[in-house]
Amino acid sequence: MGAFLRGNRLGLIVAVPFSAFIGLFLIYPSLVVLFKALTPGGALGLSAMTRALSGTYRSGFINSAWLSLASAVIGGAIGLALALAVKGMTRPRWLHTTLDSWSAVASQLGGVPLAFAFIATIGTQGLLTKLLMQLGVDPANFGLSISGFWGLVFVYLYFQIPLMFLVMTPAVHGLRETWREAALILGASPLQYWRSVGLPLLLPATLGGILLLFVNAFTAYSTAAVLNASLNIVPLQIRFLLQGNVITGEEDLANAIVTWVIILLLLTLLLVTLLQRRALRWTRS
Amino acid sequence: MTSQAAAQKRSHLFRAAFLILIASYFALPLLAMARFAFQNVPMALLTPEKLLTGWSAAGLQTALTDPQIISATWTSIQIVVLSIILNLVILVPLAIVTEVRNPALRPIITALTLLPWVIPPIALVVGVAATFRIAAPWFLASNLSLVPFYALWAMPFTYRLLDAGLRAINARTLYEAARGMGASFPAVMLKVILPNMRSSMIASAALTTALVLGEFAFASLLLKSTLPTEMVTFERSDPRGGLALALFVMVFTAVILGLVVRAMRRRGLTFHASGV
Repeated sequence: MGAFLRGNRLGLIVAVPFSAFIGLFLIYPSLVVLFKALTPGGALGLSAMTRALSGTYRSGFINSAWLSLASAVIGGAIGLALALAVKGMTRPRWLHTTLDSWSAVASQLGGVPLAFAFIATIGTQGLLTKLLMQLGVDPANFGLSISGFWGLVFVYLYFQIPLMFLVMTPAVHGLRETWREAALILGASPLQYWRSVGLPLLLPATLGGILLLFVNAFTAYSTAAVLNASLNIVPLQIRFLLQGNVITGEEDLANAIVTWVIILLLLTLLLVTLLQRRALRWTRS
Repeated sequence: MTSQAAAQKRSHLFRAAFLILIASYFALPLLAMARFAFQNVPMALLTPEKLLTGWSAAGLQTALTDPQIISATWTSIQIVVLSIILNLVILVPLAIVTEVRNPALRPIITALTLLPWVIPPIALVVGVAATFRIAAPWFLASNLSLVPFYALWAMPFTYRLLDAGLRAINARTLYEAARGMGASFPAVMLKVILPNMRSSMIASAALTTALVLGEFAFASLLLKSTLPTEMVTFERSDPRGGLALALFVMVFTAVILGLVVRAMRRRGLTFHASGV
């Protein structure tokens, strides 16, 4: 920042509002959360932080982690398969542009309309539920419901698959056709090519993409809230604590939970950046 | 050769089947939603013969004439406009000065503008409740108090778009050329740089609109009345109207986003949906 400001009135004029804005609305509230999480009841201590990882709050983190992991791995696998499946396809001509635009749109479609759409599809009165029941299969008999674990995974895939597709398309296009041909000419079988060339090259981007999807699901609140999810997950616990349903002496619990979430996000996003930097090495043409 | 051709055909069939399966996963919820919103036949009574009966837009009409929905829509429109203005007022000068005068600082500024993505709404809302609720309750009382926070979450993609736009027009060269020929600083900005940034600004405005019209978590936890939160309230009393409205907003948002993606692709920019 020093160089920015030295003899640079213009720099000062643009930097001050920007810093004040971020400082007041982002940094200040975040630091207050961190401070309160580390000083439960006014004295420095880790009791709130440990409390946030025990009992029902612990199971919230575990449920959230499983939900995010399941939707990230399944969504990641399908998104990657989709990117690979359409890679060499030139017909129909509208396929690529449509898929790209649709993915950009659908990856942002979390929230209220998405929850409503799935209530109309796999809710108790939903279209797919009804179709399955006509075929003599009642999803409820298998313990499947829209507000349960697999119901949420099924809904989350709606924004996870397109996000993975968007993340993976550059990496998949970076796999050059000449490498495959070279491997085959040198006598490799398609399986060998994938095992020792294709997959290792895609691995960093794939792992990075899955982590990104994990973060995406971990912080998703709207869909689960509108679906009235019966699963005890972190975003819904934060709502519970915010609405003032707090036992005395646990006021700093919400702050501690959020601190853990931000630590988790920072670590994951750092890992994503490292993996993407590695993945870029091969996509740069 | 024939076995290879057969294998290729099999792989094509497999691919087509996979794509159809994926397409139906994405189409079915939208169709089910549209049916529920616009066909006045309960699911329990729906038979193949009744598939074409009872269609009407009455649900959407009720929703669009509901006073609560109308006032929430007005609130959301105000938030959209103010967030766009706030974001551009802060970021356009920052992006220009960084690019033409201090390009070495670009990585730091870019990193700073990505910060809002590390603190998602569900996390920041706790901080806001712990600070502004006590220090400035008058501020949080207004629905418009959402504006700075929405501007914050729009910041990462807005800055990237502005920065990409500036680099695409070689802003630094243009700036130096114009200055070298004797143009004053305000003249360069108003006549050279700003007109060339119009499409970046329009794209970021469209993305901000989509963000504000879709944000539920933050507004709902701060008990604000915006279009998404009122939509949920409305749906509880009138499911059909609520779904019709949600579909309407969804299609509107999708069209905006789709247009932006297409326009950006034509200019050789890629859409970064993710934060990193």
